[in-house]
Amino acid sequence: MVKLEFHDPSGVLEVTQPHAPRLASLEGKRIGFVSNEQWQAYRMLPLLKESLEADFPGVTVLPVDAFPQGNAVIGEEEVARLVKISGVDAVIVGNAA
Amino acid sequence: MKNAVSGGGLAPDAAMVTFPINMFLPGSDINPLQERRREIYEGLTGWKSQSARAAGPSKMLEVEGATYEQALDKANSLLLARKWGDGLPLLPATKERVDWILKGAALPRTHVLGKFPPLGGVTTVETCAIALAMAGGRPEYLPVLVAAVEACLAAEGFDQLQATSGGPFPAVIVNGPIAKQIRLNSGFGLLGPDPQHPAGASIGRALRLLQQNVGGALPGVGTMAMFGAMRYTNAVFAEAEDELPSGWLPHGTQRHGFDPGTNSVSVVFASGVANVRRRGAKKETPEEDALNGMWRMADFMRAPNLAVLAGWEKGTPGVMMIGPVVAQRMAEVGWTQQSIREFLWENSKIPMDQMRRAGAPAYIEIDSNPKTRASIDLDPWPISIKPDNIVLVVAGGGHPTHSYWLQAHSPTVPGRVIRTPETFERLLDEADRDLGGNV
Repeated sequence: MVKLEFHDPSGVLEVTQPHAPRLASLEGKRIGFVSNEQWQAYRMLPLLKESLEADFPGVTVLPVDAFPQGNAVIGEEEVARLVKISGVDAVIVGNAA
Repeated sequence: MKNAVSGGGLAPDAAMVTFPINMFLPGSDINPLQERRREIYEGLTGWKSQSARAAGPSKMLEVEGATYEQALDKANSLLLARKWGDGLPLLPATKERVDWILKGAALPRTHVLGKFPPLGGVTTVETCAIALAMAGGRPEYLPVLVAAVEACLAAEGFDQLQATSGGPFPAVIVNGPIAKQIRLNSGFGLLGPDPQHPAGASIGRALRLLQQNVGGALPGVGTMAMFGAMRYTNAVFAEAEDELPSGWLPHGTQRHGFDPGTNSVSVVFASGVANVRRRGAKKETPEEDALNGMWRMADFMRAPNLAVLAGWEKGTPGVMMIGPVVAQRMAEVGWTQQSIREFLWENSKIPMDQMRRAGAPAYIEIDSNPKTRASIDLDPWPISIKPDNIVLVVAGGGHPTHSYWLQAHSPTVPGRVIRTPETFERLLDEADRDLGGNV
């Protein structure tokens, strides 16, 4: 038999931070949106806000435009800072495509 | 999206709810969002990462066959099964082959060049050598590949360029004596294939493999490049520096300020190409021939190609390649590099009424760059902020008929000096031994 040994070409990934912990429940929580304003987000995210408010009495869902919007800005540190100081328990990011 | 999560240092998965693309189109039925809303709630509450940890250190793979041919076939099948191939035969990156390629390294094999976005694979000199080994490369190509990778990693928005639906691909322009030394093409058929000048194919293919295997740009998964744009080898070529008209500057000098004679790469992200038949057909004077050709080039450039917005201020709207014969004749009738750029810039401006009918202003309004957004007041609208943004390169076969326009989606045009090892001359001698005399 001929054995051929060769390198895995995919490199190495480094995990430097954990995913955010999940919430036990959405009851009474404060939820925000980070929107890239693309792909019908202007219709979908308001619908999702309505759904959350209907399904979880006591939940606070911030307006879709509570944080800066748009593909160009949502990845910036300033947006992350605003999200942190807003006191939200979770954010929903949309819409990717 | 998962790639971007990984590129941010998180485990390579994410709480996502995916829908067919139809729901994201204008006028779509968005009721599926309502129907599946509990999956989104689950993402905020019960979701757990399935990646307890990311991939570990680079591993060695192993296949066996009754013969070398069988083992080679199995290796290629394994690479395709793991989604690490490109559909063409690959040379497995054996330890022996990778060590051979690394003779071309001017940096330690473990030197980290950066994380290849969007997936974020750590990219070392060895990672490049593995890709180059798979792509059929040689040690003397490695310095150009490493410099090209460095330039790509320095490119503004490279994570988005990797993933975007327009599918921009790196066009690597090489200046300096290294181009000829390693058999990189600047003449006939410079965008390949050319067995007389094999370097560009291997270097570009290795870069593409890195983009996919380390950066995660797998079609339809990590890159939404709709058409793929012939990216098997990207575009890696040299400027025909020896044939520049007197007084004309090499591209690396004009764009990046490198001293003439410096080995360098310059990377433009191109999203398509157009062949421009620029030569006259009858009894034009040299002056008319030059001017008619310039108009044809400008006419190709004068299109509401919204990809140019990305590089409107700091990048480029594209690369205009003119052949050495053309450059020489144009210089003889008084054209300079600057006057060519200025003509093309001035005459590729688009009347705003044409922009409006194409819906282009909406894209200008949402651009992230305030200078680009402010350009909406310009009528006619220039495809870049200034003429110097147009990349003008003298390259191509010794023939007067065509020019070549590589339209760009290039926020920046990063350049890097190429570093060679002290033993580089010996590598070139070995190439002469293996490949025959350098033409």
